[in-house]
Amino acid sequence: MTLAVRDDLRNLGHAPSTPFAGLEDAQVVQAFLAGRDRAFDELVSRYQVRLLNFIYRTVGDRERAEDLVQEVFIRIYRHLHRFDQTKKFSTWAYTIASNLAKNELRNRSRNPLVLFQTIKRHWEADHRPLQFEDSSSRPDDMFRKRHLRELVEQSVAQLPEHHRVVFVLRELEGKTYEEIAEISGCNLGTVKSRLNRARNNFASIIAPHLD
Amino acid sequence: MNCCEFREKYSDFADGLLTSSESAETGTHLATCAACRRFDAALRAGLDALRALPSVGVSRGFGPRLRQRLRGELAVHVPIVARWSGTVGTLLLVATVGFIGWDLLDSRSAHRDKAAAATAWSPASLPLAATRPNPSHPDQRRYSADLRFDAFHPLNSILVSEDIRPTTAGDRLRFDVPAVWGGP
Repeated sequence: MTLAVRDDLRNLGHAPSTPFAGLEDAQVVQAFLAGRDRAFDELVSRYQVRLLNFIYRTVGDRERAEDLVQEVFIRIYRHLHRFDQTKKFSTWAYTIASNLAKNELRNRSRNPLVLFQTIKRHWEADHRPLQFEDSSSRPDDMFRKRHLRELVEQSVAQLPEHHRVVFVLRELEGKTYEEIAEISGCNLGTVKSRLNRARNNFASIIAPHLD
Repeated sequence: MNCCEFREKYSDFADGLLTSSESAETGTHLATCAACRRFDAALRAGLDALRALPSVGVSRGFGPRLRQRLRGELAVHVPIVARWSGTVGTLLLVATVGFIGWDLLDSRSAHRDKAAAATAWSPASLPLAATRPNPSHPDQRRYSADLRFDAFHPLNSILVSEDIRPTTAGDRLRFDVPAVWGGP
C-alpha cells in the first residue's frame, strides 16, 4: 500500500456515502486488507458513535471517551491484519474499547481526579447551562424528565466498574451474553451473575426516586 | 418462591432464559408480591429512561484528529520499513558475513593456541599399545608404558595426578598408570 493511496483518508468518519455502505463488516475489513483504504472510513463511520457512547457511559467523561475512541481506531488500524476474520468485527472493536475503558477507570482509581461531572452534580440550578426543550411539554413533565435523566446517569455511574461494563453492553448496546463474555473476557456464568447484580443495584438506586 | 430467590432469577426471567416452569413460578411471585412488582417497575422505568438518553456524538475535530494520527502511524510504520528495508537488509547481510568470517578466524587462532599449549605443557604421547602389566609394581592392576616425546601430536596431553608414577631411564620416561585408564 502506498502513501499516496493512504492519502485517501480524507473525509474520515464523515463519508456521506461510500461503496462499502451495503457491505457486512467482514467484507469491509477484507476490502481494507486488500488495499482499499477508504474501507477504513466506513468502519470509522459505523462505529465511532457506538463506541463513543459505550465508553462515555462506562467512564462518564465525554472528552476522555473521545480520546479513547481515537485510541480504539488507532489500535484497530494497527492490528487489523492480525484480526481473526472468523470472529465478529464489532465484538473485537468493543473488546478493545472495553479494555481501554477499564484501564482508564483503573488509572483513575490510582490517581483520583475531581471530575467535572462530580462538580456538576452539586451545582445550583442557576449555574446550569441553558437548555432549550420542547415547549409543548408541561414544565413539571420537563423537570421530571430531566431529573430522571440525571438520575439514571448517576445510577449507572454508581455501579461497580465490572458490573457497569456488562450492564452497558447489555442494556444500551444490546449485546448477547456470549458477546459480552467475549468482550469482557469472562465466562457466561460470570456475565449472568454480574448482569443480575448490576440490574438489582440499578433498580435499588433508582427505585426510591421514582415513587 | 421468596423475594430473594426472585431477585436471583430476575435477570434470566427478564431475558426469557428460564424454563417454562421456572418462568411461571417467577411470574406468579411477581404477580403476588408488591415489593417485587415495585422493583420490576423501577428497573423497567430506569432502563427506559437510560435508553432514551440522547446519544453522544463525536466532536467536529474528531475526524481530522484521527486522520492526523493515522498518518502518524503510517509515517512510523510503512514508509520507514519501505524506504529502509533494502539498506537494512544489506547491513544485516554484511553483518552476518562479517560475523561468520570473524568466527572462523577466531576458531582457527583458538586451534593454534591449543596446539601451542600442547607443545608447552604436554611432555609425551601415550602409545597405549605399548602399555603392559607391571609385575614388579605392588598394585597388580597398574600398567606401565614407555613414552616417546612427540610434542606435535594433537592428542599429546596427559593429566598428571598422584596415580601416575613417572620414572626416568636414559632419554625415556616411564609412567605407571592405573588400570582404569584402559590399558590393553
